Amino acid sequence: MLLEADAVSKAFGSFFAVREANLSVDEGEIVGLIGPNGAGKSTFFNCLAGDAVPTSGRIIFASQDMTYAPPEAHARLGIGRTFQVPATFEGMTVLDNVMVGAYLRHPHHNDARECARQIIELTGLKAQTDIAAHSLGTPGRKRLEIARVLATTPRLMLLDESLAGLTPTELQEAIGLVRKIHETGVTIVIVEHIMEVIMTLARRVLAFNQGHVIASGKPEDVVKDEAVIEAYLGRGRHSYRSRSA
Amino acid sequence: MVAATGPHGQSVKKIPALTPTVLLAAGLLLYPLVFSGPFYLDIGVTFLLAAISASAWNIVGGYAGQVSVGHAMFFGLGAYSPLLCYTLFGWAPIAGIPFGIAFSIALAVLIGIPTFRLTGHYFSMATIAVAELIRIYFGTWDLVGAAIGLQGPATARGWWDLTFRSELPYYYIFLAVLAILLCLTSMIERRRFGYYLRAIKAGERAARSLGVSVQQTKIRALALSAAFTSVAGSLYSVKTGFVDPESGFGILVSVQMVIIAALGGAGRLYGPLLGALILIPLQSATNTWFGGGGSGLTFILYGGIIVLIARYEPGGVFELWENVAPRIWRRKHAA
Amino acid sequence: MLLVQVIVGGLLLGAIYALFSSGLTLIWGMMNFINFAHGEFVMLGMYVTLLVVVWLGGGPATFGFAAAFTLFVLGVVVYLSLIRYVLRGPMLAQILSTFGLALLLRYTAFWVFSANFVSLPQTSLSGTINIGGVLMPVPQLVAGLIAIVLTVSLHLMLTRTAVGSQLLAVAEDRSAAMLMGIRPDRMQALAWGLSAGAAGIAGALMAIAYPWSPSVGETFGLTAFVVVALGGFGSVPGALFAGLIIGLIQALSAFWFGPIYKDIVVYALFVALLWLRPQGLMGKA
Repeated sequence: MLLEADAVSKAFGSFFAVREANLSVDEGEIVGLIGPNGAGKSTFFNCLAGDAVPTSGRIIFASQDMTYAPPEAHARLGIGRTFQVPATFEGMTVLDNVMVGAYLRHPHHNDARECARQIIELTGLKAQTDIAAHSLGTPGRKRLEIARVLATTPRLMLLDESLAGLTPTELQEAIGLVRKIHETGVTIVIVEHIMEVIMTLARRVLAFNQGHVIASGKPEDVVKDEAVIEAYLGRGRHSYRSRSA
Repeated sequence: MVAATGPHGQSVKKIPALTPTVLLAAGLLLYPLVFSGPFYLDIGVTFLLAAISASAWNIVGGYAGQVSVGHAMFFGLGAYSPLLCYTLFGWAPIAGIPFGIAFSIALAVLIGIPTFRLTGHYFSMATIAVAELIRIYFGTWDLVGAAIGLQGPATARGWWDLTFRSELPYYYIFLAVLAILLCLTSMIERRRFGYYLRAIKAGERAARSLGVSVQQTKIRALALSAAFTSVAGSLYSVKTGFVDPESGFGILVSVQMVIIAALGGAGRLYGPLLGALILIPLQSATNTWFGGGGSGLTFILYGGIIVLIARYEPGGVFELWENVAPRIWRRKHAA
Repeated sequence: MLLVQVIVGGLLLGAIYALFSSGLTLIWGMMNFINFAHGEFVMLGMYVTLLVVVWLGGGPATFGFAAAFTLFVLGVVVYLSLIRYVLRGPMLAQILSTFGLALLLRYTAFWVFSANFVSLPQTSLSGTINIGGVLMPVPQLVAGLIAIVLTVSLHLMLTRTAVGSQLLAVAEDRSAAMLMGIRPDRMQALAWGLSAGAAGIAGALMAIAYPWSPSVGETFGLTAFVVVALGGFGSVPGALFAGLIIGLIQALSAFWFGPIYKDIVVYALFVALLWLRPQGLMGKA
């Protein structure tokens, strides 16, 4: 088991954004996290990435207790993440952005640059190599974030809605990219709202609501789960369905 | 000229990177020979000193984006150390330079550790508070001459006292130090440390997620910046043979570093140099125009310039040029 | 007895610190922004007071109102012309903006008013009063008490009135506030006006009791930083307690170690605070 979250809770004051959430991910899996807005997915993600310290529970990665480890330590041990709102280094070029990631494993300038160029080629950003990040559109930025994280040679990638806001063509390309990355051996946990992404990419899905994991299993099963539907659509769906049936 | 793509995706002509440096070096080396005489030499020396201080500030304030508004604390420590060693032990002032560097680095770490784990504002506030604290305290401390300050050797006991009649030797010594600092900065720019500094400035959270030890990197940048600022202070007191709390730790010292770097372009290798090129002659001119009340009006001018930079072009003249030049070029070629 | 006098004097001055520091903490809590020119706002309030008294022969009500109003307007103008643009920009721009403003205001004041210390001509508030054996100068007493009342009023305004809750809503969650029909820009401008206005009145109160010159702005600004750091990010009650404490510490330091040390101790306290308890008394860092 590569990543294990054990009864993780995160409270802000008296409000529990995440309550006793469990997760286990084996090496080589693609796991999806779904749930309505405010369900606690991103907060849970932040806990996994080290951006937030859990109020209780444990997070174990590759047999190491990461519960209180800072984000830098996470990155060094092989956990990479993207941000819901892309956090690219705006004033720096695409190449420089990716190099910052590459420097983690390649302390020397030339090695880092070489690694960065390869990643840029792999992620289809070659044409924009010397363009400043702020000149890219949102899809470009999301792709750049993925490239940048990839340069840190992670074992596990946490993708936080990295495929949102894309046109159908861009979405297919992005899905292809994630698949390609997965094929190189990277384990992926992905938070997404877009069902197509979850259904095609994820082998296993966890559904969140109000900080709790309410369902888990194969995508087709979770999506049909009563509790999940209720979480997204609220009560009253039952009576509507029975009336129209 | 070579064709290339600029940072905004536009096509630009690039001069091979070495040419500006060569021209600059030649210009600076030959300046005293072309503009000879004490007046020009004095401006030249002042310019170099300002460029050194501002370039040192630039490492932590420009590249890493940690805005220190109390950098005079390092300058002052560097200024006092040589004269203190002379006054207390009779040593040649330059022997005191390493002490200044050591004290400054220690102070940098003392301030950096608690403040760099908090938001940026804390660091900036702390820098003013500490600079003021030291300035006031030194004004009461007899060991360092209290309000009167310290003096260096009146006449040279040997070459090592570095008391020259003409400013020419100082000019070339300062130039050498500036060259070393800029070379070092340039090296940093092209290495991991420099990339990490820029990443921290551009987005700390993202930087951390990529494995950058943000706090440690910031402290290193501050220590390096402090060391060179200290050297600048030492050069100042060795040359003038005098320092007091105001000239060492006063707010003008901090302000000048910041405005010169920001005006030229914070975070650029030659930004501080450009800023000094603009501001030092300007300062000399306003001092002549406004006479005795000069420093008051100079400050008003500085304040105004800083506000304008903040409001309209935080990237300084370099950034302004980069935004404006392509348009001029295009217009010229469209006509 | 002398010690009691020193303590009370320190607390009274601390009350004025609390008043202007609440303005600073309000801005910080609301916009995550530090106004490096805040001390200069206080200083300007003092000079407005002087001008009203000397030119218009105005009494306390007049100059109090004048100081508050002038600075309120200045605060709003500064926000609309400068602050709201740099808020979206890099940290360098944010810090330089008010730092440059501080220099501008401070040295313009030096130029206009000279560096000499001034004080208000004798007004109705003069003399000393004897309370239980302790001799208190009336101006200090009045100034300190009014400062406490105003600080508490500010807190009540923020927590009990509609406008106050709108301000706090924007501080809490800008987007949510927008969805509720509150206009963040307007609220932020108002906050700047209030912050500067508080500084202005504090200046007027200071002017009643203490002499000053344009140099005091820098000291007040730093004092405000310490008070806000001690009291906690965004907390007006915190600023009140912290202000009193700082005033007290200052007075005792001057009394025991000498007048020079009053500022040194406060700044050293700031550094110690950053090391040991950056979140202050009440509030989060």
